[in-house]
Amino acid sequence: MPIKTSLARARQRIPHKEKPAAPKSSRPGPTKSQYAQAELAGQDFNSLTARSPAHSPVHESQGPNMIPLNPLFTDYPPIRDRLATASSTVQDDTVAECLPFLAGDVRTVPCNEHGVPRLDRQRHIKFLRKNLGKLPGRFVSLDASRPWLLYWCLNGLSLLGADVSDYRVDLIETARSMQNDTGGFGGGIGHDSHLACTYAMVLALAIVGGEDAYEVIDRRALWRWLCTLKQPDGGFRMAVGGEVDIRGAYCAAVLITLLNLPLDLLPGSPAWTEDGPNLFTGLGGYVRRCQTFEGGISAQPNGEAHGAYAFCALGCLAILGAPHRTFTSFLDVPRLISWLSSRQYAPEGGYSGRTNKLVDGCYSHWVGCCWPLIEASLAGPSSLMFDVNKTKNSNIDVHNLYSREGLIRYILCCAQDQSKRGGMRDKPSKSSDAYHTCYVLSGLSSAQHVTRLLASDGEGLMTHSKYDVLPYTGSPQIYDEEDRVSATDPVYFIPEGKRKDIMSYFLSKPGF
Amino acid sequence: MPPKNKGGGRAKAAEPAQQEPPKQPQTVRELEWQRYYDTNPHQKAYEELGLHGMTPADRQAYLNQEYLKPGAAKTLSNKAQKELWKQLNESNLPLRSLPRPRDSHWGRDKNGRDIGDYTIEEYGAHEAKTTKLLNLFFQSQAFKSKREKASNGDGHLVGDTVQPFTCTEDDFEREKVRRKEMADLQQDLYSVKTDPYALDPEWDDVVPIPQVEPEGALAAIAYPDEYAEAMSYLRAVMAVKEHTPRCLRLTERIISLNPAHYTVWLYRFSIVKALNIAIPDDIEWLNEVSLTYIKNYQIWNHRQLLLDHYYPTIVTSPSEVAALGDSERQFLERMLEEDAKNYHVWSYRQYLVRKLGLWDEEERQSIEALLDEDVRNNSAWSHRFFVAFSDPAHATPGSHATEPDPRVPAGVVDREVAYAQAKILLAPQNQSPWNYLKGALVKGGRKLGSVREFSEQFVTNLGGVGDAEEEVRSSHALDLLADIYKEAGEKEKADLALRRLGEKWDRIRKGYWEYRRKMLE
Ligand SMILES: [Zn+2]
Repeated sequence: MPIKTSLARARQRIPHKEKPAAPKSSRPGPTKSQYAQAELAGQDFNSLTARSPAHSPVHESQGPNMIPLNPLFTDYPPIRDRLATASSTVQDDTVAECLPFLAGDVRTVPCNEHGVPRLDRQRHIKFLRKNLGKLPGRFVSLDASRPWLLYWCLNGLSLLGADVSDYRVDLIETARSMQNDTGGFGGGIGHDSHLACTYAMVLALAIVGGEDAYEVIDRRALWRWLCTLKQPDGGFRMAVGGEVDIRGAYCAAVLITLLNLPLDLLPGSPAWTEDGPNLFTGLGGYVRRCQTFEGGISAQPNGEAHGAYAFCALGCLAILGAPHRTFTSFLDVPRLISWLSSRQYAPEGGYSGRTNKLVDGCYSHWVGCCWPLIEASLAGPSSLMFDVNKTKNSNIDVHNLYSREGLIRYILCCAQDQSKRGGMRDKPSKSSDAYHTCYVLSGLSSAQHVTRLLASDGEGLMTHSKYDVLPYTGSPQIYDEEDRVSATDPVYFIPEGKRKDIMSYFLSKPGF
Repeated sequence: MPPKNKGGGRAKAAEPAQQEPPKQPQTVRELEWQRYYDTNPHQKAYEELGLHGMTPADRQAYLNQEYLKPGAAKTLSNKAQKELWKQLNESNLPLRSLPRPRDSHWGRDKNGRDIGDYTIEEYGAHEAKTTKLLNLFFQSQAFKSKREKASNGDGHLVGDTVQPFTCTEDDFEREKVRRKEMADLQQDLYSVKTDPYALDPEWDDVVPIPQVEPEGALAAIAYPDEYAEAMSYLRAVMAVKEHTPRCLRLTERIISLNPAHYTVWLYRFSIVKALNIAIPDDIEWLNEVSLTYIKNYQIWNHRQLLLDHYYPTIVTSPSEVAALGDSERQFLERMLEEDAKNYHVWSYRQYLVRKLGLWDEEERQSIEALLDEDVRNNSAWSHRFFVAFSDPAHATPGSHATEPDPRVPAGVVDREVAYAQAKILLAPQNQSPWNYLKGALVKGGRKLGSVREFSEQFVTNLGGVGDAEEEVRSSHALDLLADIYKEAGEKEKADLALRRLGEKWDRIRKGYWEYRRKMLE
């Protein structure tokens, strides 16, 4: 069977796809730079091969049953400005880069009748396992982020349904080597403790689970260290002498609740006053100050709205209390939703992280995983008896505030490395890595499931809201059932059972 | 020359060894053997003929020579010894006979070649190098001993006076050159790599602490040698909280190998503080690093720490503060030329404006220049909003970005609304100025309806078909119009705008537009 690269056909296809729906405001045809990009993309993918549709057994057998592709995902958007600037040029280039993948012109794995490639589960598992092994010297840039590598890989493997228990013993020793006596985990052996690294390491330990793994964590030292990071403005420093930003707010909230740490603030803390504030004092207010005029959330007050920080903000508020209460009391929710919704682009289907920036697979998580919490906040607690695709408290279709189909198409068509390498990526011209693999899969999980807030027992802190995460069964389901990845906890982003295990372990543990 | 008796090997062997034409040795091994036979003249005959095959005279000479070997003569009686010396005197035997060579003693060079196979010249060069290395080693030892004495305050006699030992800068420089030479020789002779820090006499007192991974460590990185070495010195100096210039240089080295190493950055700042380094000096170095590692995150926290530390020392001098503002802005502009949307650069810029009070015309103009270049640069729009609406001169402290602030002067709101509108006209489908417009209106407490006419120019015949076909030049205009109509109580029109967005103009967000329709009720 002749195997040829996608390049020639990608080149052919782009002009045909370019049928401006609104000729008056559209630019005619693709620009030179679009061709250049397609070419470049083709070179980047020279490890890929593509079957010509006429010869492909997959297409032949499924050809007659192929459901015509929705032009939403194969055409340029109906309104495009004539004025070209750096931003619009790279945006056009990105669409040109994605279109051949969305239209099914680049194939190395079988497609279903919706023109969507299968999830290459085994290759992604292999890719993640490789990232947990011995790494070559060029990984030195991740030397201060090793706990992150552990979390990305273990969470990614869990989402793919792979068994991670064989990593338990080694993970425990690895974690031990990076824990500091002064509390918390560093990015490597002998590195200062860092809130993000500690967050990642604790989640990794929770994912492998078991008493040995939990007991590695020096909770008392961790709590003391958190007290030194707590700031008078309510936020948290990422490290002693490090920056204060909203990641700290989320990471600290996760650690405190997951490990059942006391909220009490030690007198030595920079945030300590006579009023007796605790670790959560002013945290909601800090998150609120990070919301911008666009509706999204920035890293620090008055910055630019950014997808990753939106997720941190909502995760933090969802820990401080039930989303239907905390979101509305700390945020302008309508503007937040407007901004979140603006992150999804067509034809790409994926999310961007900021206004006028490009789609990137990792925002499938950062933006995509905001939605289940938004859904919960809009619907409020619902009863178990209720149908998962409707909600009790309103007639709003809260589970379809964004295009699940678009996101899943982007993930399976564009964000999957379809070569032998496996793994997930930012966009077709980028190579896969553990970070994107974890967060693209997490976004996929969120798009394939619905989340409901079951019950929340009110105002008190440290009372975990209960969620119900079930498969989303609405149509069209453009992926095969076997390609549904596992459900995950909508606040902590580890498997739900693992979250329960570690929480109940520390809740029932006597003493501290 | 007499004809050779080819039939009797024995006859040939019986010829005295000395009579063979002297062969020029090709290798040092051959040379060594030759010297051995030269200094043991009867050895060859003994080896070839055996003791009993030798002539009695040769046999006697041979045995005498054996007794010459160290200690052997002592086994003889006094009388026998006397006889031995007499015979030796008469026989002209070389007094020193070389020991029998062992073929294995040459060893192999770095390429695996047997050194015994070296030519005489090659060996000469080789030996010159090893001798040189040995000499350098002794000189280096002498340097170390002198340095130690100097640091102990020891003295030595010069003439009649005791002078203290001193180690001058020159001594250090010479030692550095010497170690480099030693490292090159070691590399050349034995392929042994010398770590750069071991080359530097400054680091002699530090015992590096290598990283010890637990067995089975996950995601363990096979560090490049130079990184592993620098890190093991870092661990050693951090362990004793050393804050010295050499540590500062060490942090530079590690940052150049892995700029994401936050621990090194934090350590660097503690050194800067401890040594009271002139902050502008460190900023100069930082500028270089920032431009090299354009995406790096840690650089900006470091810069902020430096500024926080420096600012109180100049706060009373407005000219110095202004100069700092200028140089910082200049540098940020250079950074933004490389990446106009770099999140960390913009975050730092917000910090800077607040810290130095740069709520001025110049700041706004610098933003406008960036927006003139790319009107879609949302980072620049965000910064403009901050500068316009958070200026403490007229903003309510702590006013939330999404809520009205009655203190903001109408003139500011007018100016910002007009600016956004002008930019929308350049490219109506650009969402940034639309978000800005709405944000400015809300901040200013204005009705959205105040831009109704402006927004409607981008929508013709909403819901129209046939001759009066609907035309939309900006989906964001339609989005805002839906709010404007809602505000004006024109619910049906608002609903139509949202419906058309979902049906045609922004279909990927259909679910959201439907939600907005529901919210009209
Ligand atoms: Zn990404």
